Amino acid sequence: MNDVESKPPPTPETVFQEYTPRIYNLARRMLSSETDAEDVTQDVMLQVVRKLDTFRGEAALPTWLHRVTVNAALAHRRKRATRQKHQVTDPLEHILENGFHVAPVRPWSVDPAKPVMDQETHELIEEAIRELPEIYRDVYVLADVEGLPNAEIGELLELSLPAVKSRLHRARLIMRNALAPHFEEAAI
Amino acid sequence: MITCKELIDYLIDYVSDELTPDQKAHIDHHLQFCPPCVTYIDTYKATIRLTKSLPMKPVPPELIARLKQAYVESGYGRSSPSAGA
Repeated sequence: MNDVESKPPPTPETVFQEYTPRIYNLARRMLSSETDAEDVTQDVMLQVVRKLDTFRGEAALPTWLHRVTVNAALAHRRKRATRQKHQVTDPLEHILENGFHVAPVRPWSVDPAKPVMDQETHELIEEAIRELPEIYRDVYVLADVEGLPNAEIGELLELSLPAVKSRLHRARLIMRNALAPHFEEAAI
Repeated sequence: MITCKELIDYLIDYVSDELTPDQKAHIDHHLQFCPPCVTYIDTYKATIRLTKSLPMKPVPPELIARLKQAYVESGYGRSSPSAGA
């Protein structure tokens, strides 16, 4: 019997304490709605409590929680009467002509050594994520916020690896364009 | 020489270090002559870095209370757990 099998299942208290914020924040960012995220969090936490006895050790729990939360968020979105319609434009159309840059690209005033941001900057980025079209937002949140590998995202969203990478790349380009006006250094 | 558009198409593999040596050589060659692409790559990386450093928002107290209530009503717990924030 290995270490994982010998451990008792986590207690509801442990799961509530450690995982509620992760579940809530993942659902909030996927759904762009705090109210919808609360519904999904409750749904997921009750599923967790029902199935907690099946977990011996917590190694598999985070993976399972991602899966349950993503599925619950997608199901919640499907139930919503109105789907969000975001206009998708080519994120490169303004800077490229004949495949080459037509104007200088302005650098950003972001210090790589100081990743700590203020509340206003957090909100700028959260707002840009909320504005992403859903198909790009799902992949972006799972990859660049949650830090999941592309292969795992493909399994969660039932997408091929090339599709995950294509959507992630496009999401990053859209995000870059959304953030650029706020971080670009002033023209000299 | 590859175009800026082709370079940008390679970026997802470039930042995760998944390019073939040949592809990487094309990128490096392009960057020697294209300052806008050098800056563009920096800002693409900054976008990823800024997003990764986003903190989690605290769970609203109302949701914590709601979860405790739902847990008790579910019959799986005799007392409510202490949900984290």
